[in-house]
Amino acid sequence: MCIMKICNVQYSYDGNKKVLKNISAEFEAEKIYAILGPSGCGKTTLLSLLGGLDHPSRGQVLFQGEDIQKRGLAWHRKNNVAFIFQNYNLIDYMTPIENVALTSKLPPLPLLERLGITREEARRNVLKLSGGQQQRVAIARALASDASVILADEPTGNLDEDTAAPIADILKECAHQMKKCVIIVTHSNELARQADVILRLKKGELQ
Amino acid sequence: MSFVKRAGLYCLRQRFKMLVLFLLLTLIATFMLTGIAIHDAFKEAAARVRTTVGGKILLETDTEGHMGGGRQNEWGTAYYYDGDLITEEIVDAIKKVDGVVDYNCEEAKSYYGAGVDFKYLPAALGLSYTPYGEASSYTATLSSKKCKAFQSGKYRLVDGRHITPDDIYTCLISKELADYNQLSVGDDVTMYCLDSDSKATFEIVGIFDGTKGVAGNALTVDEIPANCGYVDYAAVKDIFKGIFDEEGYYQLTIYVEDPACVQSVYDQISALPELEGKTLKLTIDTEEIDAISTPLESLQSLVNTAMILISVVSAGILTLLLTIWIRGRKREIGILLSIGKSKVNIILQLFTETFVVAVVSFAVSMPFGGLVAKRVSVFLLSRVAAGTAGLDVRISAAYLVPLYLVGILLIAVSVLASSWTVVRLRPRDIFVS
Repeated sequence: MCIMKICNVQYSYDGNKKVLKNISAEFEAEKIYAILGPSGCGKTTLLSLLGGLDHPSRGQVLFQGEDIQKRGLAWHRKNNVAFIFQNYNLIDYMTPIENVALTSKLPPLPLLERLGITREEARRNVLKLSGGQQQRVAIARALASDASVILADEPTGNLDEDTAAPIADILKECAHQMKKCVIIVTHSNELARQADVILRLKKGELQ
Repeated sequence: MSFVKRAGLYCLRQRFKMLVLFLLLTLIATFMLTGIAIHDAFKEAAARVRTTVGGKILLETDTEGHMGGGRQNEWGTAYYYDGDLITEEIVDAIKKVDGVVDYNCEEAKSYYGAGVDFKYLPAALGLSYTPYGEASSYTATLSSKKCKAFQSGKYRLVDGRHITPDDIYTCLISKELADYNQLSVGDDVTMYCLDSDSKATFEIVGIFDGTKGVAGNALTVDEIPANCGYVDYAAVKDIFKGIFDEEGYYQLTIYVEDPACVQSVYDQISALPELEGKTLKLTIDTEEIDAISTPLESLQSLVNTAMILISVVSAGILTLLLTIWIRGRKREIGILLSIGKSKVNIILQLFTETFVVAVVSFAVSMPFGGLVAKRVSVFLLSRVAAGTAGLDVRISAAYLVPLYLVGILLIAVSVLASSWTVVRLRPRDIFVS
């Protein structure tokens, strides 16, 4: 079932350099999408447009058939999508529990425990956790929002192979068991192999 | 998580920043409270001055063009006022005017007396133009308590009582003169007046001080303030009976109940038929009020300007500090925007963080404000002429209301100005930058 759709999306900086050129794609629930491409091809820009962090210069981003700008981008970010960033983007003066509680539609501790964060770790400052643990907290925060679409920008980019593998498993679980649509921007072929659909972006165009 | 909880967590976890903010806000609040307290104290002092000194109207002879043709005497030609005097009929009419509470006559240098049984403090020239040496001047008055020098605090009665309208042949002398002649209240002094060529004995009813150290290099005894005193008006009238036949006063000070009504009382007196066509001048006497209240008003205006400056500078420093801190929290703001928190919600969090600290700071600044206000007021008072008025500087709990109102406004403006540079950005731009 199509949950998100982009129709003829264009994006350019200051109306000059076109980063995305007439892109159209559909995204379904219970699937993992991997967007691959060289650096600077517009992968992160596309993810930003899907997540309502910015709006396209032309074209539409639709969520369940409705233009996301209709109810406002902030509303879309709050209710429809959740982000997982390469550098985790956790609030540094908070504990994992508090970071997860920021989007508190679900109780934080069970989610954190399910993702391998102990009770004791959940009460430490996030900066006292390892990279892998911080990324798990970021995933827990995304899951706590109960959003239908999870947008992950290089989620294993800062992690070594041993730490990255369980993160990939968690993302797979999100899609296949929790019935979410997971869209991952990555350079990692290993992570891309786990995806159900691979989209290749080259010079601003989907191939 | 609500913005209040986020703000609470930030305050708890960022203790150093909160301590700096607390100190800054306490400083600002202390200055503001000091300003409010001193402003109010000056306002009260100015009102007190008006009430104490009261409204005054001066009725006096208009000497211009009414000094006669001159009379020849053994010293040369003397010119005497030949216009109208303030008669009892006029005084009675004035007493009946609404708002008039009292009147007094204070005629300086009305009586010159040489000491028959006492000596004046000596002057440089040491003249002796009477058989009893040099004469000093006395102010004739109905009521010495209402005389300018006593009203302004320049002179202070230290023994005995004041001259009242019922007295006759009474006087007030300075403490210096009393000590010089070992005189005290109840003693009699006899003086010789050259103008009337007669001796008169006065009872000392009071002794005043305030003359010490103001003699300077006096050439004649009457240039030494300690030698000059007060005598009752009835005695002067009696002494000059037969020499000056005119009945009446040369000058009359009229006291008005409410200083605010001086103009209306002045208008009523001006319209009295008893004054019509008389060679008398009527003026509103603001000399004393001006002398005391002008420096107070100048200082009040200085304090007002200082308060405005403090508020503006405080807002500037606070905005600068918050701008630096909020720019450092760009990523946090980006994260909050990416999880769907609205810009208003984020600004409310930033405001709440500062407000929570301000609530404590403002309360703590109460005792500090009291201490600073007292020290500043002592300094400011030292800039006002001596003998004017005291300042009662107090910091009451009621000052917290304007402090919190102004403080909240100041914080709101500072937070809005400092956060807007970050919050106005698109979330993606925040992450990219």
